[in-house]
Amino acid sequence: MSARQRIAKALGAATVGALALGLTACGGDSGGDDLTTIGFVAVGPEGAWREANETNIQDTFTEEAGYELKYAPATNLDQKSQIDAFTSFVDEGVDVILLSATEATGWEDSLKRAQEAEIPVILLDRGIEPDDTDLYVTRIAPDNIEVSTAVADWAVSAFPDGANYFVLEGPAGVSVVNERNEGFDAVASGQPGLVKVGAQTANWSTEEAKGVVETVLKSNDNDVQFIFAQNDEMGLGAVQAVQEAGLTPGVDVKIATIDGTKNALESLAAGELSFVAEYNPLFGETALEVVEKVLDGGDVESSIVVPSATFDSPEAAETALPDRKF
Amino acid sequence: MSANAHRPAEALKGLVRRQYFWGIVAIALLLLVNLIKDPGYLAFSIGSSGNLVGNVIDILRAAAPIILIAVGMCLVVATGGIDLSVGSVMVVAGAVSMEFLSGAPDTVGSGLAAIGLVIAVSAALGAVNGVLVSVVGLQPFISTLVIMLAGRGLAKVITGGQNTAATNESFRWIANGYVLGLPVVFLLALLLALAMGFLVRRSALGLMLEAIGMDAKAARLAGVNRRALLFTVYILGGVLAGFAGVFATASVMTVDVSRTGYQLELDAILAVVIGGTSLAGGKFNITGAVVGAILIATLDKTVVFLGVSSSATPAFKAVVIVVLCLLQSERVRRAFRQRRAATARPAEREAVAA
Repeated sequence: MSARQRIAKALGAATVGALALGLTACGGDSGGDDLTTIGFVAVGPEGAWREANETNIQDTFTEEAGYELKYAPATNLDQKSQIDAFTSFVDEGVDVILLSATEATGWEDSLKRAQEAEIPVILLDRGIEPDDTDLYVTRIAPDNIEVSTAVADWAVSAFPDGANYFVLEGPAGVSVVNERNEGFDAVASGQPGLVKVGAQTANWSTEEAKGVVETVLKSNDNDVQFIFAQNDEMGLGAVQAVQEAGLTPGVDVKIATIDGTKNALESLAAGELSFVAEYNPLFGETALEVVEKVLDGGDVESSIVVPSATFDSPEAAETALPDRKF
Repeated sequence: MSANAHRPAEALKGLVRRQYFWGIVAIALLLLVNLIKDPGYLAFSIGSSGNLVGNVIDILRAAAPIILIAVGMCLVVATGGIDLSVGSVMVVAGAVSMEFLSGAPDTVGSGLAAIGLVIAVSAALGAVNGVLVSVVGLQPFISTLVIMLAGRGLAKVITGGQNTAATNESFRWIANGYVLGLPVVFLLALLLALAMGFLVRRSALGLMLEAIGMDAKAARLAGVNRRALLFTVYILGGVLAGFAGVFATASVMTVDVSRTGYQLELDAILAVVIGGTSLAGGKFNITGAVVGAILIATLDKTVVFLGVSSSATPAFKAVVIVVLCLLQSERVRRAFRQRRAATARPAEREAVAA
């Protein structure tokens, strides 16, 4: 399926390239219809959060709203497939490119190509490194540093007598991971009571998180009171490992996660998780406003923060659950 | 060299000559490193339900899915082929079982039905590989690559692109339960590996597979039914990968469409090679594949136990694997022996002269 997509994409790119050679003078807006084309270089299936985010974007840029959204999810979270999609959008001459990068680094060349073609690029959620704001119009995202600071602040208040804690990280090198560490460490390192016993990646996966936590608990003789999971899926894996070690999650080991998906809130309502910081995925409306402004030639801030909530009790989770969209 | 060797020494030498001996050495070394970090590493305790609890048990549990795909891979490699689709078959198996169980009642019956479904689907995927290789005559690398890419897509279609969770106690028991104090997953994996071992080594099947791997034409002239055998081998590989997928998803009762089984085909190939099976085909060793799989699980667990940072993890693993491959290399070992002999001989001569 993927192979076929790729062939189709290659053929498409070739055709467009041939057309472009003939029609160089015509510029970007050569389409026969009045729809504004948006190329969305997306992450694709990764978890409930991503699903909510990308569905929200797709539901916002509809044909009724005057847009044609071309959705290009990455193949197995692979950056190369994203760069390919990005390049073909540039060759195609879409009006705007939305980019959620799987990896933070390595985007300079692609972004420069878009700039030469005068296609504005708007980063959604994930940032790029080095963060050169000249290469893109704006980045719309909830603030990872703010969200992880909220987790750390909660940990400080929940453990007045201090605690040993372990961090379940996403894949090394991703900007989300760096930022979530940065926000958390800024607060936690100022607290002598909070002792970090270690950190390890579980690649955002429930299964890997369970395996990591089961070993971490053994290597610390179960002397871990707090686990900070950088996404919900890993937090849910940690819950299972804690239970299997004969401990009670929420009592012996408190687990905090980031994202705020429905599964995590259900788990919080059941008292297994102790704290869930939302990382709000529903910013299609904001993206739409920005795109309209950019196409009208208006100026936008280089960073737009999407507000997020936090849930620190089963009751708070139960209140939020009925109209949870993701 | 072996003029004054005794019988037990000879047996030991036989083991040393096996490729997987170095795998065992590596496992022992890794365990030793862990033991130095924490003297209680190898200790067992009794858990709440009378099961054994300990780091070694965790390793065995983590090894189970790798053992299965490695054994399947081993047989395929013996015929001179390769199966890149095992990871994707795992995720399809996980997707099928989770999607089925999320709508089914929490009974033993539906757990068994899910396994039945997994066997059917993974056998079908294996059969596609088999047809592409044996009937159509495509390169195994290409045909299984097709299933590798298509399989993950298929899993996304089955679950609607979502990571799907389900509850079923009996299904969960497969990955988290214990029999006689030992984890069910490991016992099942070992049982299946033993069954495969008996099947191919107690019959002519193994020899025929090797014959195909060595020289397909000569094998056919000798009356080996190449087509049927290849077909069977790819189906077996598929079903074993399906079981591995059940193990991986049942452990957390969630299938992660982009992560379950991701790149595990590489782990399987590595396990097979560590075990002394030649990728050129014509020779295989199931015990070796099992040893290789356990080594990979030990390595994964060691990284976490030692607290190697996430960014250094791939490098750490690579160093261990490279050292192991050097130890296994006949040429490197010979170079070592020659040096030792060169330094030993003058000493011997002096002793005689004295």
